Amino acid sequence: MSVVAAESFWGSIASQLGGDRVRVRSVVSNPAADPHDYEPTPADARAFAGAQVAVVNGAGYDPWAPRLLAANPARGRAVVNVGELAGVRAGGNPHLWYSPANVERAIAAITTAYSRLDPRHATYYVSLGRRYASQGLRSYRSLIADIRRRFAGTPVGASESIFSPLARAIGLRLLTPQRLLDAISEGTDPTAADKSTADRQIASHAISVWVYNRQNATPDVRRLTDAARRDGVPIVTITETPVPASASFQAWQTLQLEALRAALERATRR
Amino acid sequence: MPEPVAAATLDIPGRVRELFTYHFMVNALAAGTAVAVMAAIVGWFVVVRRQVFAGHTLSLVAFPGAAGAALAGLPAASGYYAACGLGAVALAPASRSGPSRGAETAAIGTVQAFALGCGFLFASLYHGLLGGVAALLFGSFVGIDDGQVLTLFAVAALAIALIGIAGRPLLFASLDPEGAAAAGVPVRALGAAFLLLLALAVAATAQITGALLVFTLLVTPAATAQALTSRPVAGMLVAVALALIVTWLGLAFAYFSPWPVGFWITSLSFGFFVLARVWRARRARSACGTSPTRRLMLPPGPPKRRRRRTREGGA
Repeated sequence: MSVVAAESFWGSIASQLGGDRVRVRSVVSNPAADPHDYEPTPADARAFAGAQVAVVNGAGYDPWAPRLLAANPARGRAVVNVGELAGVRAGGNPHLWYSPANVERAIAAITTAYSRLDPRHATYYVSLGRRYASQGLRSYRSLIADIRRRFAGTPVGASESIFSPLARAIGLRLLTPQRLLDAISEGTDPTAADKSTADRQIASHAISVWVYNRQNATPDVRRLTDAARRDGVPIVTITETPVPASASFQAWQTLQLEALRAALERATRR
Repeated sequence: MPEPVAAATLDIPGRVRELFTYHFMVNALAAGTAVAVMAAIVGWFVVVRRQVFAGHTLSLVAFPGAAGAALAGLPAASGYYAACGLGAVALAPASRSGPSRGAETAAIGTVQAFALGCGFLFASLYHGLLGGVAALLFGSFVGIDDGQVLTLFAVAALAIALIGIAGRPLLFASLDPEGAAAAGVPVRALGAAFLLLLALAVAATAQITGALLVFTLLVTPAATAQALTSRPVAGMLVAVALALIVTWLGLAFAYFSPWPVGFWITSLSFGFFVLARVWRARRARSACGTSPTRRLMLPPGPPKRRRRRTREGGA
């Protein structure tokens, strides 16, 4: 089965859920590029035209993906739109792969789509889905549970709203002004008041850890990160898409969660 | 990774067949054809009427239109048409031929700056990712659906029908406003109607070429055609042929190469324009002995009319 994923994090999951019965092509996978500004190429349009299953993030994150699907009508193609599954519309927080609950929703929907299009191998897909949940995502889940148990309620700061779903799942208190998180994520200018609030939170150590997205490091983000480094606030670097590009979703997320746990341990001396 | 589609051998028929294999590419070629024919014909009048700056302003107005539509949760195309239509209404009172050209240019420039300011406001008010700003400005051809193709064909048919009905008096009013008015042609009404038609053509063209590159189909083929011939029907046919050639070749090159369609269409039409000017300059030199560089400096347009206007301006 030929599968196209708009982004490599969903592509990695789709490929592990289909085993050797699917060939997955991920459109956005370059860790050096900002996925917000992605423009599809003719090769991407060909991939969407030939795909039997399309996995898109939705929620306004990849507005080009529904256009490519509309420009290439195909009978019997299954479209997994994670934003629709999660009930997040354009304008909401589109970073659904940073929410463990929405990752689970996507896994269930992809397995269902595979089983519907290729019913003869449905048991194969269901068993792969079970194995991915029990083994593939084991350290991802146990790390989240461990950090939650030990550090729930710890105040943290972040450069953008990409970290908000994970902070909520772990139970961390994200103190950075919501408007600044949204502005950096959406590529607009944060207000001076929000910037000075974020400065104060770092200088006064009101936040234990500073989390920043290296793939969307605007001058404001770099300045805040430098301030955190100077004032001795532990820094956690996260990325928008898997780094290196070949890393699986769970390997990439696990490394980031381990770094977050180490930073929280350093900050709270636990 | 994009798969290597282009084989090492230059298999032209195979490549052409491949272009029609994918639905998105068929849609892009169909939409490009409709837009090219309409833009070339409307553009021919734009160049004759010397309303290039108004056309430029209407194309920039498309940007706040698209950003405003995103803000209101509407499709981008509706924003293009609404904003260009409003822009034409705003420009119509300022647009008159005659001695007040300087005032007209200043008024158009003011509308243009205001429109861009509104576009920036809408883009910053829009919460969420304003996806594909580059596509709004520089065009994209991979995401055109069947509905858009039908709309573009309907718009093109309407525009060409309107030119077919009013083309003759419009040409008269464009070349000789005083004479046309004396002969009972409604010059002012025709001018306003033409601006609306131009807005329609710009809004449709901007969906393929983006707001900034509208000129590549609207003005360049028409200017090239006028460098080659000053006869109206022949000029329009040459402009249509050039626009079709650059659109089809541009789409094909963009399909097989990693470079964007906007670059290919602009550079191809620029190439044809330069060739036409060089050809005209060489012919003029062999005819009256003027140096080719001197001839290249002259603006485009039918040579006879141009010389008469210059003399009037100097008198």
